[in-house]
Amino acid sequence: MKRSYGSKEMAFAALAGVLYAFFGLLHIVEGLGIDTGMAGLLFIPGDILGGFCLVVIGAVFLNGLREMLQGINAGVSFVYVGILMSLIFAAVYLLIMGGNLLDSLIVPDDYEGWNVMETFRPGIYLGLISLFGIFHWKDKFSLNEVLVFREGA
Amino acid sequence: MNEKTLDFIEPETSVKVLKVTGRKSSRKRILDMGLTPGTRVDVIKRAPLGDPVEFKLKGYNLSLRKKEAETVLVEIVK
Amino acid sequence: MTEKITIALAGNPNVGKTSIFNSITGSKQHVGNWPGVTVERKIGKKVHNDVMMEIVDLPGTYSLTAYSLDEIIARDFIIEEKPDVVVQVIDATNLERNMYLTTQLMELGVRLVIALNMTDLALAKGDNINEKKMQEFLEVPVISTIGSKGTGIEGLLDAVTEELHKTRVTENVFNYDNQIEERAEKLGVVLDSDPYFAHYPSRWFSLKLLEGDENIIKKAKESGSYPEIQKILNETDAEILEAKVADQRYKTIQTMLRQVCNINTCRLTGSDMVDRVVTNKVLGIPIFLSLMWAAFEITFTFATPFMNMIDIFFGWMAETATTVIPVPWMASLVGEGMIAGVGSVIIFLPNILLLFFMISLMEDSGYMARAAFIMDKIMSKVGLHGKSFIPLVMGFGCNVPAIMATRTIEDTRDRLITILITPFMSCGARLPVYVLLAGAFFGRDAGVVIFSLYALGILVAVVSAKLMRSTILKGEDTPFIMELPSYKIPTLRGSLIHMWERGKIYLKKAGTIILIGVVGVWLLASIPAPGSSGTFASEEIYGTTESMIGMIGQALEPLVTPLGFDWKIAVALVFGVVAKEIVVGSMGVLYGVGDNEENLSNILAAGAMTPLAALGLMVFTLLYVPCFACIGVIKRETGSWKWTLFQLAYGTTLAWVFAFVIYQVGTRMGLLA
Repeated sequence: MKRSYGSKEMAFAALAGVLYAFFGLLHIVEGLGIDTGMAGLLFIPGDILGGFCLVVIGAVFLNGLREMLQGINAGVSFVYVGILMSLIFAAVYLLIMGGNLLDSLIVPDDYEGWNVMETFRPGIYLGLISLFGIFHWKDKFSLNEVLVFREGA
Repeated sequence: MNEKTLDFIEPETSVKVLKVTGRKSSRKRILDMGLTPGTRVDVIKRAPLGDPVEFKLKGYNLSLRKKEAETVLVEIVK
Repeated sequence: MTEKITIALAGNPNVGKTSIFNSITGSKQHVGNWPGVTVERKIGKKVHNDVMMEIVDLPGTYSLTAYSLDEIIARDFIIEEKPDVVVQVIDATNLERNMYLTTQLMELGVRLVIALNMTDLALAKGDNINEKKMQEFLEVPVISTIGSKGTGIEGLLDAVTEELHKTRVTENVFNYDNQIEERAEKLGVVLDSDPYFAHYPSRWFSLKLLEGDENIIKKAKESGSYPEIQKILNETDAEILEAKVADQRYKTIQTMLRQVCNINTCRLTGSDMVDRVVTNKVLGIPIFLSLMWAAFEITFTFATPFMNMIDIFFGWMAETATTVIPVPWMASLVGEGMIAGVGSVIIFLPNILLLFFMISLMEDSGYMARAAFIMDKIMSKVGLHGKSFIPLVMGFGCNVPAIMATRTIEDTRDRLITILITPFMSCGARLPVYVLLAGAFFGRDAGVVIFSLYALGILVAVVSAKLMRSTILKGEDTPFIMELPSYKIPTLRGSLIHMWERGKIYLKKAGTIILIGVVGVWLLASIPAPGSSGTFASEEIYGTTESMIGMIGQALEPLVTPLGFDWKIAVALVFGVVAKEIVVGSMGVLYGVGDNEENLSNILAAGAMTPLAALGLMVFTLLYVPCFACIGVIKRETGSWKWTLFQLAYGTTLAWVFAFVIYQVGTRMGLLA
């Protein structure tokens, strides 16, 4: 069965891919000790490994875009896995944020002058994009214990 | 006859098993997993570092290192 | 009156056997080991229709040959313990290969009930299976189930109790060609005449002999009729027969499947689509590393508040105990010995629970097999399996959960090597030691020094693995034949049960060893040395030259002098066995600066130690005896004191040699002077 994916999927992959790659690079640049001037505004920590993960998510989306542009239908699987990964990372960052908050209540001495927004991360707000994505395509995922992609949905 | 060993088959090719050779323990296991003579096997892909290799047969996916794939004699089918 | 029966749960790996087991038994399960080996054995209980059932979860196997330990355990259990009913769980989306085990179970002549699991997935995939017809064909009850939702479990148990009162032995459902049947019959006659074989189903035994099953041939050799058996076997080529037996089993299955179901093939499934991404040539490894990072963050960063909570709670308990108990030595024993000891065991619980929750998610989703697929090339270079990678990475956080994580490695030898080298992965508790010493002696280069220590740990692990593979644990490489199961959404319930089981094992089994160790060290630090005038467990002598531990330290001094250490370091290292981070604290006490780390580093840098000795001490801390918690799990996971002691001796010897070379060679060459 031949059918090409619509511009919606491609636009989504392009947007999410560029955003994740860009924010990931910012993490890495900050992590190398170079001040981008955006750290405070966008809650970007200097974190090389975390930045690498975001770049990977961005690359997954962009590779999906590349394949779809080449007319490979299965390229859309990269978009779905990208969404899945970005949700996993949003969850991880949220848990760590919660953990820090809890820790600040347990050992307040170590957290003087700290506020919870210091652990707020781009991984969390970027995850919202994917949440929107999954909402939009939810009829294509059947989370019935196995990932079934319905063709043509 | 176009006899080859399974490790030489390029991804996205289908083959038919002719014979399993090799050491007893691995031979038995490979047969148990369904690579019996006559079985159709699709070569799916190699791992990112080139080894092991993924196959599809009897409706499921199996991976073998090249060293094990080498012991399976196959012929290419269209 | 209730009847008591035993049910064995058999099936291939990844067919949802565990979820069926959980659905039947709920939380009433007991996890232990099979006698003599470290393969896990789960037993659960359930009362159904007035029948008291004991359900034994057999290891997941593809076949019942002597290929692996798991298969031998499963088949010996069925033959020796004779369970009343065997329930085979079958993955409905993958009938053909699953039924291969069915053919062998039927040949064993057991009362069999088939749980056709994951029927919802088969339906979603577009397969159409007629259970009625299947039941007629096999003459065995077939019940469709959905383990993750608990559907069909009642029906399955009904079928089991019904089957119980039937007498049936249909060994002959599967027929082979004349050549095999003739030989099997001849062998059968011999076997039936020898009481030695009365124990075994003779048709099955004959077929196994013809297949050339090593384990079975060994058993036959012990009988008086072996010469006769050998004569029949020599008539044909075992290699040809072996292929024929497997082939004809599969042919019979195919014949049946054509009649009972309609399988939808040739379609890109969801699993294939996910696989295109996560095992992608370029992105596969980065994706894997990202997910590892996420798992690492959760296991260690997210665990911090819970560990602090435990720490504070036990600190408070110890303090309360010390003030409440009037007798000083008793207060010290309860406070510093026992409560602190229990605390040192429980402190790792958050790590263990979280890591196993994540490992369970990875295993149940099917990603674990892909991780092994991706990393196998690298790991095979040191003679290990792809699955060894995850425990080793987790070792950087804490060796204790990492060693427990080696349970995912099937091959016993691979698993043993992984357990033995995991302690060389520099865990988080060793970092404070590096930070203090590297900071005091290497100033701006501290970062490089610390990084090199981590790298040295990896190098030692890799070289040790290779060394063990080619010496004490020599043998053929295990063949790498691994299924890549379809992806599934893991269930929260399954993961939570898995996580809780691990936590329980840790607390129960490893906990006792750790406690004994911790209290032992407390005793050594509290008992006055012979000739000392101090009182037992008084603060004045605790851990000083006046105590036993101080005496031991001084006795050990000649051993550590070549490394540039004095007796204080020796004592600190003994304390370090309780937990590595204690090394810093006890050095502080011994050098008389209390817990002021800045003063300690000043004293050290001012000449208590040379930079070379400090470097040696860091390397020693990296490689020597791991902490008690770690020793406890090594013992628990290897099931052998021999291997545990081997690890301790091997690590400590390496530590000594490295520190010796660093100090002696460095001093001679005038390095870092």
